[in-house]
Amino acid sequence: MTARTRRRRTSTLAGNYVLLIILAIIFIGPFVVLVSSSLKPATQDVFSFPPDFIPRPPVVDWFIRAWTVIDFPRYLLNSVIYVGVMVPAYLAVSALTAYPLARMRFRLRTVVFFLFLSTMFLPGELMLIPRFLVVSELGLADSYAGVMLPGILSAIGIFLLRQTFAGVPQELDDAARIDGCKEWGVFWHVMLPAAKPAFAVLAIFGFISVWNSFIWPLVVLKDTSKYPIALGIAYLTGVTGTDVRSLAAGTVISLIPVLVFFLVMQRHILEGMKGAVKG
Amino acid sequence: MPQQSGSDVPELTPVAERTTPHPPRRGAPDSVPRGPAWRARANRPAFWSPWLFMLPGLALFAVFFVWPAVQALQLAFYRYDGISAPIAVGTANFERMLDDPRFHEALVNSFLFLLGMIPLAVAVPLLLAVLVNQRIPGIQGFRLAIVMPVVVSMVAVAVTWKYVLDAEGVLSWIVTSLGIADEPTAWLLSTDWALPCLIVIEGWKSMGIYMMIYLAGLQAIPSDLYEAAEIDGAGVWHRLTKITVPLMVPYVAVTSTMAMLDAMQVFTSVYVMTRGGPQDSTMTLGYYVWSKAFEDYEFGYASAIALVLWAIMIVLAVINYQLTKERR
Repeated sequence: MTARTRRRRTSTLAGNYVLLIILAIIFIGPFVVLVSSSLKPATQDVFSFPPDFIPRPPVVDWFIRAWTVIDFPRYLLNSVIYVGVMVPAYLAVSALTAYPLARMRFRLRTVVFFLFLSTMFLPGELMLIPRFLVVSELGLADSYAGVMLPGILSAIGIFLLRQTFAGVPQELDDAARIDGCKEWGVFWHVMLPAAKPAFAVLAIFGFISVWNSFIWPLVVLKDTSKYPIALGIAYLTGVTGTDVRSLAAGTVISLIPVLVFFLVMQRHILEGMKGAVKG
Repeated sequence: MPQQSGSDVPELTPVAERTTPHPPRRGAPDSVPRGPAWRARANRPAFWSPWLFMLPGLALFAVFFVWPAVQALQLAFYRYDGISAPIAVGTANFERMLDDPRFHEALVNSFLFLLGMIPLAVAVPLLLAVLVNQRIPGIQGFRLAIVMPVVVSMVAVAVTWKYVLDAEGVLSWIVTSLGIADEPTAWLLSTDWALPCLIVIEGWKSMGIYMMIYLAGLQAIPSDLYEAAEIDGAGVWHRLTKITVPLMVPYVAVTSTMAMLDAMQVFTSVYVMTRGGPQDSTMTLGYYVWSKAFEDYEFGYASAIALVLWAIMIVLAVINYQLTKERR
């Protein structure tokens, strides 16, 4: 490498970092504005020209106010319940449905598989109203079950697990059968352990989507005490009115669980997003 | 030897007689492993076994997909307020759309949303992916920064951006201090700016996922392609347009379809930030359907609009599929 190309490489590298830092500011900056607004004391303006992001001094008053002005712990607990029930149910239903589609031979198998896949072509907007009417007719409107049940079946889960189960070597299957396993035994002792990475990806994305779910709970629930956290924040915007500091504080609280989860699981999340195309 | 496709009678051919691989059965996809006859017998379950496994899935499918899908079709031809009995109105709901100015506004806004989202979801993330595909120190941190808005709820994102877009917020300050505008703008209260702001925010939130999709594609491109091009004297721009972009077309098919479906259904950002206003300038089809159904309790009319929206989405998906297929 000549000195000239090396110099050129160095300057492109510097240029790249400048670009990357600008991008990081664009993607992180709004959250910084939010956090700074939530920490500013009443004596300091939230908005000013030029902007001033350093709270002087930082105060936690707004966090306390947001925590009490709406029933914050309740909404967090609700979201934990929704995630805690829906994600395992989603994994279980997907796995149970995917197993015969991947490993058994029976009439109508292809038909059933395509029926499940076809649900991908029924977008949320189309299903919103009729699903609400169905849930009402079942007497599940304004209930936890009404929020949870329609979200458990997903074509993506079935599709991904079917691929995974189909890829399990036949020898493992045979060995289990020689040891006396029936279908359930093969499913439990061979298939589930083999599909752990797929379960991890589905669980992570399930967690994020349930934690952030908004429109369906909004439609089903009237009782605010059953709200998940995302609806709680929307409710908070109405309650706080011009108190923008408390709104910012409440939003920061709502972000913490999902961001901690994201940072802990980042490797799997990034891989999962990439795998979404190949899978 | 008779073919016994799909029946429950076990294979009787002894293993020893088999010299050729097991003949494929009708209706059995290639992904299912085939073995010698005794394996096939072992894998042939009791007729009820697969159905028992699939019972929970099938039940949920029937109740929360089939039943509502049938209702969605029916409701579009009824007037129904959720309380009194539905009244059949024929195609009146669809005729009403023809001279409903708010529906027209929503239709136009949704297409504007789509037009605005496509570059933000298809082109910009590709450039981002090229940028973060370099092996340089700290790159994972930059990837995380760009992906972060993806995992955050739309409500939190909308609230967050309200602080940036306030009349006295950061954006107004940047614009006035750069001399682009003379005085601060309340971006979300402006009929000119509210829709573009929402488009940028939705784009900003979802760019990370599109970037990761492209990144997967970029990492699958063999690096000797670039090395050969570099030896031939191709610059950065040439390498991008002659190697990267053509090889990314299958991924563009994915990102453009995802972006299109999301853009046509956009709801949460509108609900939290503008409620369709000011003066319906951010009224999208997704928001209009919700508002007609759950604010005005016109379930029939709202269902008809949802059905039209669904038809538009299917048509767009097919067009998109054809466009990207030809270039592969």
